[in-house]
Amino acid sequence: MSEATLPVQAAAPPRLSEDLVAVGLGLAVFVLALLSLAGADALGWLVTTSVWTDPSAALAPISKAYASLGGAGALLVTYLILTAVLSAGAYLLGDEVRRFALAFTAVFAIAYASWFVGSWAYLAAVTPADQAKFGVAWSLKLTNEGGYIVALLAGLVIANAFPTFAERLRSAVRPELYIKVAIVILGAFIAVTMASKLTLASSLMLRGVAAIIEAYLIYWPVVYLIARKGFGFSREWAAPLASGVSICGVAAAIATGGAIRARPQVPILVSSLVVVFAVIEVLVLPFIAQTFMSHEPLVAAAWMGLAVKTDGAALAAGGITQSLIQAKAAAEGIVYQPGWMLTVTATVKVFIDVFIGVWAFILAYIWTNHINPQAGAQKAQFGEIWERFPKFILGFVATFLITLALALWTNAGSSGQLTAAIGEANGLRVIFFVLTFFSIGVMSNFRQLWQEGFAKLAAVYLVSLFGFVVWVGFVISWLFFAGVKPPLAS
Amino acid sequence: MPKPNLREATSTYEPLLPIEKKLIGWSLGTGLALLVVLLVINRLVPLG
Repeated sequence: MSEATLPVQAAAPPRLSEDLVAVGLGLAVFVLALLSLAGADALGWLVTTSVWTDPSAALAPISKAYASLGGAGALLVTYLILTAVLSAGAYLLGDEVRRFALAFTAVFAIAYASWFVGSWAYLAAVTPADQAKFGVAWSLKLTNEGGYIVALLAGLVIANAFPTFAERLRSAVRPELYIKVAIVILGAFIAVTMASKLTLASSLMLRGVAAIIEAYLIYWPVVYLIARKGFGFSREWAAPLASGVSICGVAAAIATGGAIRARPQVPILVSSLVVVFAVIEVLVLPFIAQTFMSHEPLVAAAWMGLAVKTDGAALAAGGITQSLIQAKAAAEGIVYQPGWMLTVTATVKVFIDVFIGVWAFILAYIWTNHINPQAGAQKAQFGEIWERFPKFILGFVATFLITLALALWTNAGSSGQLTAAIGEANGLRVIFFVLTFFSIGVMSNFRQLWQEGFAKLAAVYLVSLFGFVVWVGFVISWLFFAGVKPPLAS
Repeated sequence: MPKPNLREATSTYEPLLPIEKKLIGWSLGTGLALLVVLLVINRLVPLG
């Protein structure tokens, strides 16, 4: 069994589920951001990093009201507040607070250092004008969001070259928690983006339905068939594997494992593989999208949501794709409004997530009544739909609806105050993304998985993902989004 | 309950049961039909 890829072992039983902790943290950030509408700048201390050649000038607080803190002060305050708040979250999740705080200190330091390195002008400067401004003769043109890739690579190096250190970080390596908090905050950011062009936004929602059909009714049966017939996997392994490849990775594999009454280790082993392949996808697909789809940004964004598994990796890939394509477009003189590509990726992913509970119930019904009926065993219950529903989606919906209402019906929306307020929350969302990237890297010990005999499971995954899922995802994204462009920046 | 390992995942042959074939067939059939319906809607209600 892969210890390096298993979930964190809690010191005590969790007092709250991870989803509820994520919703609480995300809503707290959202409320603090909204306080600025009443004149209280409660998130202005947050550190941001600009593209730099002079490292001493790179960091600054996100709000000028906190300029006296300076860059280093803002970084310190951000670290202290995040450590305190996430330690409270760790306590609610049953973890030992001191252990978490120590591990988080290292995780935050390495992850933010990666973000900082990613903002170096030689990596991040995009246009010739930017290069001239920073005085650099060349650049990889990754934008400052290339810091996500640096964080992922840093995590991979630690996981594979320093496994003992990776083990020490384990308590704070929580990609699922970080990405769920980020998704709750993202709801507000998406609402602000969508409010500027409601017709396009509502059309995108409609297209989200196609993603649900594709994931559950096209991908799942094909991958299940490949695993069962092509590779001879038993039902107990094939079903979680099909869900892991088809739906949204870890959460779907675990929900399916529970639904078909598989032994708990089976979906966890499958999840290990999901994470490893998600890493490969994040490192490869955004660059393919930039090379071949830069003139179809929303096709590329939908493709990331459909092809990349696990919420964190998909949104990460969407974010990187957005940066890379915007950079390429900017070099050609086309400046898209920021946020639309990430909005499409997130919409696709969230729509898919919503139906995990329903799909798990359908599988549970079939397994407990037809495939593995056991006298006295508990049959599938309707309550399982709610039980397996990813509750953090409720936080996303709440921040989305409240922000949309504020944007459409209040002065704050029309005056730009709301955009500024949510912009501060979005700064924190970026930090949670970086933490997610780094954590995914630390969880991916390739060598250990190989030694444990993952080759055949990986073969099914490889055949299904790169032989089918990725390309069908591309075709369907093309059918629904080709020719549609994000609005241009004014 | 025995601890699962990766080698056992393919060690015993389990033939596809009729209910599994039904699940695969119905899922794919319904999915393809719904995708066609959505594509038609997509043409009738263009994005934008």
